[in-house]
Amino acid sequence: MTPDFLHTIEVILNGLMAGVMYSLVALGFVLIFKASGIFNYAQGVMALFAALTLVGFQTGQVPFSHLINELFGTQIHHWGPGMNNLIAILLTIVVMIVFAWLVEKLVLQHMVNQEPIILFMATIGLAFFMEGLGDLMWGADIKTLDVGIPSGGSFWWEDVTRTWVSEGYDYYGMYIDLLDVYATGIAVLLVTILTLFSQFTKTGRALRAVADDHQAALTVGISLRTIWVIVWSIAGIVALVAGIMWGSKSGVQFSLSLIALKALPVLILGGFTSIPGAIIGGLIIGVGEKLFEFWIGPLVGGATENWFAYVLALFFLMFRPQGLFGERIIERV
Amino acid sequence: MQDIVKEDDILLEVRNISLSFGGVKALEDVSFDIRKGEVRAIIGPNGAGKSSMLNVINGFYHPQEGQIWFNGQLRNRMKPHQVAKLGIARTFQNIALFKGMSTLDNLMTGRYIKMHSNLFAQMIWKGPAQREEIEHRQKVEEIIDFLKIQSIRKTPVGKLPYGMQKRVELGRALAAESKLLLLDEPMAGMNLEEKEDMCRFVLDVNEQFGTTIALIEHDMGVVMDISNRVVVLDYGKKLADGSPDEVRNNAAVIDAYLGVSHD
Ligand SMILES: Nc1ncnc2c1ncn2[C@@H]1O[C@H](COP(=O)(O)OP(=O)(O)OP(=O)(O)O)[C@@H](O)[C@H]1O
Ligand SMILES: [Mg+2]
Repeated sequence: MTPDFLHTIEVILNGLMAGVMYSLVALGFVLIFKASGIFNYAQGVMALFAALTLVGFQTGQVPFSHLINELFGTQIHHWGPGMNNLIAILLTIVVMIVFAWLVEKLVLQHMVNQEPIILFMATIGLAFFMEGLGDLMWGADIKTLDVGIPSGGSFWWEDVTRTWVSEGYDYYGMYIDLLDVYATGIAVLLVTILTLFSQFTKTGRALRAVADDHQAALTVGISLRTIWVIVWSIAGIVALVAGIMWGSKSGVQFSLSLIALKALPVLILGGFTSIPGAIIGGLIIGVGEKLFEFWIGPLVGGATENWFAYVLALFFLMFRPQGLFGERIIERV
Repeated sequence: MQDIVKEDDILLEVRNISLSFGGVKALEDVSFDIRKGEVRAIIGPNGAGKSSMLNVINGFYHPQEGQIWFNGQLRNRMKPHQVAKLGIARTFQNIALFKGMSTLDNLMTGRYIKMHSNLFAQMIWKGPAQREEIEHRQKVEEIIDFLKIQSIRKTPVGKLPYGMQKRVELGRALAAESKLLLLDEPMAGMNLEEKEDMCRFVLDVNEQFGTTIALIEHDMGVVMDISNRVVVLDYGKKLADGSPDEVRNNAAVIDAYLGVSHD
């Protein structure tokens, strides 16, 4: 194989792994959209909030410490040395579940049967609120997140791929970040568990039932509100995983909430109501973006990753508005 | 009032129900009862308020006035999923199935209120939750056999022909093993053969399982054949109530059906 060809493979692999991140965020969107017809603008902020909370627990930060210090003239910042990764993650999951419950109780419950656009605006409000809350609780500084996932290039993979090149070429092997590999593994595991859960358990079937037909779901005794709490909880956990991935790579910072914007083209590709669509859409955007930058980028001065996804989405909107797998988009949005 | 409560052969009673949508009066001061174990037909011309009545019983609509008594108890305002837990299952005039799910999953979902394992047990899956799944799966297979829908067990119901969808919807309602079954035009739009099958199923459910059934139907032949008592609605008001024979010979009923046409 020529180095050029191997380079291309490397770009594709890295694109796939970047796409996993988009897929996860899009997955959170689709789960909520299918269950309640709500386009949850706050999905990206949820990832940020989850990551902030995780770091806070890990490092033993006192929540609202700035506020407390301001009010009482105290100087507290940390309550201790922090806690074990696993406990911190479990606690963060609890926080996301409580958050889901609060959203249902304080927002959704009062807005049932409202127009989708009203619900959408409510989630915009929610996004701003959470961003502010995250800031107030944990501070606005950029934080490093390390939950013990190995990172850095894989030497093993470099060695293996170096031998793939044809005689007579200079080739140093492919670069793959271990963090990406682990992140992909975790995402695959998460999706597998979600799929099994939704296929083979009572509550999983209820989730699908609510996504399919509210009227019928109510008739068989399913409480929509219970299901909404569960769905928002799952979306919160998915957001946490996305937050961990992104945070481990680039630090936990407020730009993380902008990842939600990248999910939009993914959803347009994959369709708003399709879970496989969200996953495949994310991967396509991830690969497409990297390949485009690799091939076309140098010709147009680079930085195509900023706009490629949106232009691709625009083409889809023109030629296949329901996305690759979506259905009923016109009725519901 | 007291005497009705004492009569323990009455499963459900609606008293003085009035329901309106804006200016439209869908139901006006309607009262009737359904006895345990009977097939009770609700008939009337289009727009008479039949479906609205089922929606009131089932909790989709909340009447402005009137009471609903179930099993001798006055029922508070309830949401449909709470009514389902009381033991009232139903089908819809225009079919409300989970179209993307298989027949089997539709019926399993019908057993939702019968399944009690908690979320945590379900996530562990092995143990109680798995045992529960298997046990309920058996019950669902019995219903599938009963309705002779073995061949479409795994088919997404959205792909099934209309008549079959109606049958699956009945199956899902049966899966709940409810005390009261509300059927909104279960035979509408069916061909003769399908209709006969459906009649058979309704009667069998009533006789074999002892389920009380309230049934809306336009086909008079069917109504006369399978129901014990008939209540007639017209323009939201109760027009007549009695045995099929009484109703058939009631002058007001004959007028409503043969007389002035409704819109
Ligand atoms: N959700 C609703 N909003 C407004 N009006 C309604 C609603 N549901 C029913 N109605 C009105 O109430 C009246 C009774 O309707 P209903 O569906 O109960 O009649 P029906 O007896 O079932 O008729 P059909 O035989 O055609 O099914 C009609 O005038 C109908 O338009
Ligand atoms: Mg009707």
